[in-house]
Amino acid sequence: MGTFRASTDNAPSVCSSRRVPIFFTVFLAAASLSAQSVNLKIDFAKDSPVTPLSVESGDSTATARGGAYQVNVHASLSLRNLSQKKIRGITMAVLAQEVTPGGKGSVSIPSLDVTPNDAFTVRIDVPLIRPLSAGQGAPAVEVRLDGVLFEDLSFYGPDSLHSKHNMTLWELEARRDRKYFKSVLETAGDTGLRNEMLRSLSREADRQQQQPGVQMVRGRSTNFDAGQDVQFAFLDIPESPAEALDGTARITSDGARAPRFEVRNRSTRPIRSLEIGWLVKDQQGREFLAASLPAEANLAPGKTGQVLEQDTALKFRDSTNISTMRGFVSNVEFADGGYWIPSRAIIDDPKLRSLVAPSPEEQRLAQIYRKKGLAALVEELKKF
Amino acid sequence: MKSIKTHPAEFALALYATGDLPLVDRLRVRFHLSNCDACRSVEQTYRKDQAWIRQKADELPEGVDWDRLSREMTANIRVGIAAGECVARRERKTPIRGWRPVAVAAGLMVVLGSAWWLNVPEAQNESLKRAMVAIFHRGTTLNEDRRPTVFASSTEIKLVENGGTFSMSQGDKAPVAVSVNAEGSASARYVDTDTGQVTITSVYVQ
Repeated sequence: MGTFRASTDNAPSVCSSRRVPIFFTVFLAAASLSAQSVNLKIDFAKDSPVTPLSVESGDSTATARGGAYQVNVHASLSLRNLSQKKIRGITMAVLAQEVTPGGKGSVSIPSLDVTPNDAFTVRIDVPLIRPLSAGQGAPAVEVRLDGVLFEDLSFYGPDSLHSKHNMTLWELEARRDRKYFKSVLETAGDTGLRNEMLRSLSREADRQQQQPGVQMVRGRSTNFDAGQDVQFAFLDIPESPAEALDGTARITSDGARAPRFEVRNRSTRPIRSLEIGWLVKDQQGREFLAASLPAEANLAPGKTGQVLEQDTALKFRDSTNISTMRGFVSNVEFADGGYWIPSRAIIDDPKLRSLVAPSPEEQRLAQIYRKKGLAALVEELKKF
Repeated sequence: MKSIKTHPAEFALALYATGDLPLVDRLRVRFHLSNCDACRSVEQTYRKDQAWIRQKADELPEGVDWDRLSREMTANIRVGIAAGECVARRERKTPIRGWRPVAVAAGLMVVLGSAWWLNVPEAQNESLKRAMVAIFHRGTTLNEDRRPTVFASSTEIKLVENGGTFSMSQGDKAPVAVSVNAEGSASARYVDTDTGQVTITSVYVQ
């Protein structure tokens, strides 16, 4: 948990009539200000395996609108791989401390295939809104390298956003899915691969329609809404090294909070961390993946531990009323640096397939098929 | 001598004599009088009459006690008003001289309100809307969560904290998948339609 300043000074207030003249003064002052340049700082360490070739931020704008500064940073970074290894993924951290103290953003590109000395582009778009009262001038935006993942799964970078963990999982999923589609091509030929792609595109379209707007709130609640504890049902994945035994969350009028799980390590390797997928079914029968719950578990083989997110609340932007909840272990990181991810057979289970998003690599391959056709997809699968 | 048709009217000469003629007419009459003996004679007559009336008005009649007369007049006025109110309540006509400033102010409010609504970022409009709803529902509980929050919808992800909003996007592209995580992050996944390259953007509360 980070620390956050609790402030009400910046909150728009129209409740007091004495504020009305201030309200309009701010409005007129804001209207009189023209668009200003954006303070964009790009920072790479000297020993970084990638170096910026060029930075284009020509159409970035900072404009005073109403009682706020609206900043749109559009930057396109052209980077060169200076290392001797192929790059598989990169994450750039984006900071705007004046807007969200402690808050950060990131841009990651998984499934890259950048050979040494090759160049590639990272596009960064950051829309920001900062109250005029929160400072003077356009807010500064800083871009830093957070991590680079190489072909051999080695990593470079400060990893302030746990990008090593995420990029390694994406790369393992990419390898799993490429291997699967290659095997489909070998066993079922072009027709089999085409059918797989069509099924993937169809599932993706259905899944996107199910997903409602969700929000995750961190910090202790000041609003008392007792709610009631509701039990999770768990999908048992026999090949998973961790088993979820029991779990509850407190259901309130606008969502759920304080999820708690009991997890057992049923493998022979110590577990460092794991992630649980949180599925929610609403009273209309619509089921979707509401959130994921990563947790530092530190579980020795055979041991049971508890995952508790006391100050976490999941809320819905529409009037979704939770009916039932399910959970499943979606990935595990072992203490020795190894990972477990579900196999294709597990994620192709009808109970999960329509609810869980496909890997970034499957989405990339499906887009290549949709845009360029089967021949281009086959060519792409042969690359690596 | 000029023709009689061009002589000023007699009332104009009377008004000229008392100084009540408008400026342009006064100049025209003055020019005429400088050339017309007959009219100047009439105008002089009016001036003499005026001086005589003023002199008579200044002389008080004998035996008049102005203080007493003033008190009597005041008393009579009060008696008259009281008598009028006894007969029927007098309807007072409300002057409507104030409606124009009100209309101007209302129009200005509409223009400024529209400009505000069209120009102010959506996040602030939402806050304003919530505040108005709170005023409307005075007495009921309306929970406004001020804790750092990450949002994920089918169109965007954003972090709202301290009155500021921090988003990460890929221009005008819509994400193909969004997710939130209990540690306080939201992620959106974008696929480039030409190359298939996947870009994942995230915002974190810490």
